[in-house]
Amino acid sequence: MSLLIDILISGLISGSMLALLAIGFSLIFGVARIVNIAHTAFYMVAAYCIYFVTARLTIHPLWAMGIAVILVTGLGMISYQIFINPIREHHGAVLIATIALAMAFQEVMSLMFTGTFLSVPSLVKGYLIVLGVKVFYQQLITFCVALFAIGALWFFLMRTKLGLAIRSTSQDREVANLMGINESRVALITMGVSVGLAAFTGAMVVPLTVLEPHMWTHPLIMMMAVVVLGGLGSLKGSFLGAYILGFAEALVVFLAPMGAFLKGSVALSIMILVLLIRPEGLFGIAFEEER
Amino acid sequence: MLLEVENLSVWYDKAMLINHLSMGVDTGELVSLVGPNGAGKSTLLRAITGLVSWEREITRRSAHGDIILEGKVTFDRERIDQIPAHEIAKRGLIHCPERRRPFREMTVLDNLMAGAYLLKDRNEIRNNLSKVYQLFPILKDRSNQISGTLSGGEQQMLAIGRALMSKPKLLCIDEPSTGLAPLLRAEVFQKIRGVHQLGITVLLVEQEVGIVFQMATRNYVLSSGRIIAQGPGDQLLQDEVLRKTYLGL
Repeated sequence: MSLLIDILISGLISGSMLALLAIGFSLIFGVARIVNIAHTAFYMVAAYCIYFVTARLTIHPLWAMGIAVILVTGLGMISYQIFINPIREHHGAVLIATIALAMAFQEVMSLMFTGTFLSVPSLVKGYLIVLGVKVFYQQLITFCVALFAIGALWFFLMRTKLGLAIRSTSQDREVANLMGINESRVALITMGVSVGLAAFTGAMVVPLTVLEPHMWTHPLIMMMAVVVLGGLGSLKGSFLGAYILGFAEALVVFLAPMGAFLKGSVALSIMILVLLIRPEGLFGIAFEEER
Repeated sequence: MLLEVENLSVWYDKAMLINHLSMGVDTGELVSLVGPNGAGKSTLLRAITGLVSWEREITRRSAHGDIILEGKVTFDRERIDQIPAHEIAKRGLIHCPERRRPFREMTVLDNLMAGAYLLKDRNEIRNNLSKVYQLFPILKDRSNQISGTLSGGEQQMLAIGRALMSKPKLLCIDEPSTGLAPLLRAEVFQKIRGVHQLGITVLLVEQEVGIVFQMATRNYVLSSGRIIAQGPGDQLLQDEVLRKTYLGL
């Protein structure tokens, strides 16, 4: 029974984090066809940013989160304008540029903070006991805030004019132009939203994890697997895929013998299986050829 | 002239698709643009509404091929050949694209609202929406349906309705009857007549010469990127060579 609760909590939390990451990743892919490998690197930068503001400048973690999200969103938009926008139509070049960007962030972080493991204290100390299992308040907060963020994003996309413009552009950017939508400005804004989500996820995750300059690679692989499973560019798919993967990982870690060592293989196995059996994923869209 | 094209040329790589072409549309007219496949009708519309320059920008950045656009396009006495497509739309020149192209995964209502993207006033949007629903009652019935699941005819109605949402001064419609059953074609043309009767100037690209010549106030016949004849339908139909060679009648 307590094992079940452990799996449930672990699955829900990592599922929510993955959902936030994968939705942001899908969003910018949908709108601008950018495969942003640096997506989780922004998440890492946000986490370090929070560490810096709380541990070195000793400012309250809540403020630190706000500062981190704003700074990293700005960093994302600037990187987009300088590195990605000029080569945006060249998909291969974009892929390479974003890999380079991620590596650069990793190296800058390890120069600034060295490669040692760092951590940030929880916002709220203490825990609750549910059927004999410790559930930390921080875990509950993380889960609730993640759900709230997903809800807010849904509202933004489905109920606001800018959201409508983003959806239209991701469907057919040429026709979006004809409706008077400034497609390249929408791409820039979407990049901001996407990186903002990554930064927000980093902010949520930082009290539950350890910081080190390679912390972006595991979530990157998980996120890729989610997106492959859910269907590239599908937000609904990213959402569902994230929880499926979150629970799959939790199940393996808690149930399989030596499960913790198999953690990394879960995402890759699912990715390979999906690509073999149903390459378009759960909600895959066959993208119409753009002329 | 509401729209004036002067000496326009378009090259895609080494192929000259539009060849020193001049034409115009006056306020209140319904002008048709007919001609065989590959005559450059769609390219001309795309050049007028800014899509050719948009595409040029993209190909330039991806280092594929080369698009050149020369000449002068004026709309409402303002030069528009140098400004981006979304700015052209802002000036009231709206393009209803070939193959209908609804935003397939969005509902009918969302598609229409995307068409009203340029409008700020909620009342105005509501007014335009009810006008579009009046013209196309089917869209009202289907307003919450995902547009990709509509039939071809309904998608065409949606594409025209979406283009009407921003109350254009000039509406360019590209091949609305393609891929539709004859009965639906007649209905689509009926609707386009309705749009014209609302006081909207229409530039219509079509293959269906028979119906179009009856509707249009004036026609241009295009071939190999050039205008080879123009005038009212009955006058054009008297020219034997034109009928046989270019209009297939």
